[in-house]
Amino acid sequence: MQATDEEWARSYARQALSDLRARETLVRANAEKCHRLHFLQMAAEKACKAYLTVKNGHNNVRKSHAYVARNLPIIARQFYAVINPDRKQARRQVSEIKQLAHEIEVLAPACDDGDVRRDNSEYPWEDEKGNIYTPCEYSFPNIDDGSRAIVGLIKLIRTACESYSR
Amino acid sequence: MMKKKSKLETAESLAKAHFAVEPNLKHIYLIEPVDDQDPNDPIKLLEVVEGTIERGIEPIAFIADPARGIEYPSIVVEISPTEYQAIHDGKLGYHDWTIGRELLPV
Repeated sequence: MQATDEEWARSYARQALSDLRARETLVRANAEKCHRLHFLQMAAEKACKAYLTVKNGHNNVRKSHAYVARNLPIIARQFYAVINPDRKQARRQVSEIKQLAHEIEVLAPACDDGDVRRDNSEYPWEDEKGNIYTPCEYSFPNIDDGSRAIVGLIKLIRTACESYSR
Repeated sequence: MMKKKSKLETAESLAKAHFAVEPNLKHIYLIEPVDDQDPNDPIKLLEVVEGTIERGIEPIAFIADPARGIEYPSIVVEISPTEYQAIHDGKLGYHDWTIGRELLPV
């Protein structure tokens, strides 16, 4: 019997939680920033796919990486609106996730904003002047992965995926 | 024992909460049909958000959260004002979904 989209969704959610655990291991081992960000990007992508799969179907969502910028803020809106009675704080949390979601999405090599954002967490890239950048030596200045916003993002992915993985 | 909220009451409460946390959210509409008899049939919200990435009808499904007053599963479909303008005759072109009543921020 073929797996259902609900089963796929639960599986994406569980794998996203595993990606977050792998990220924590890398943080404790003082791994380069690109690796910490890579696992965060993968967790965010799988969280979005979990929430999209049930109604859009696994076959329609499995191939793309470009789901985070659009869908993570929608997940944040639902969760913070329901979880956090402090509306002002919830509004700030949603705003932080919106700002981060695009930066997290372009960490995937396939999501380069129409060749504008070649920086990514996996493969070396070249700028227009011919300089080669290596992810493990790059500072990813647009993302402070120890910031309050990142901690919030990780909590959101964890809460969202735990609710879906049961 | 507290009376369980209806789907419409839950949809109104969700809409109010969404408006409170997203300043770019311009309108929320209930998507019909709504099956009041089936608790597993999700509440469906069409949310018109300025500045969203335009991808058409791409529903996101949330499970029920009774501990926080959300007794039913829900679905959010986010579109831009331009995409909303392009919807003629209220049909979303997704299953038999149509645009129902508008849910207000207050």
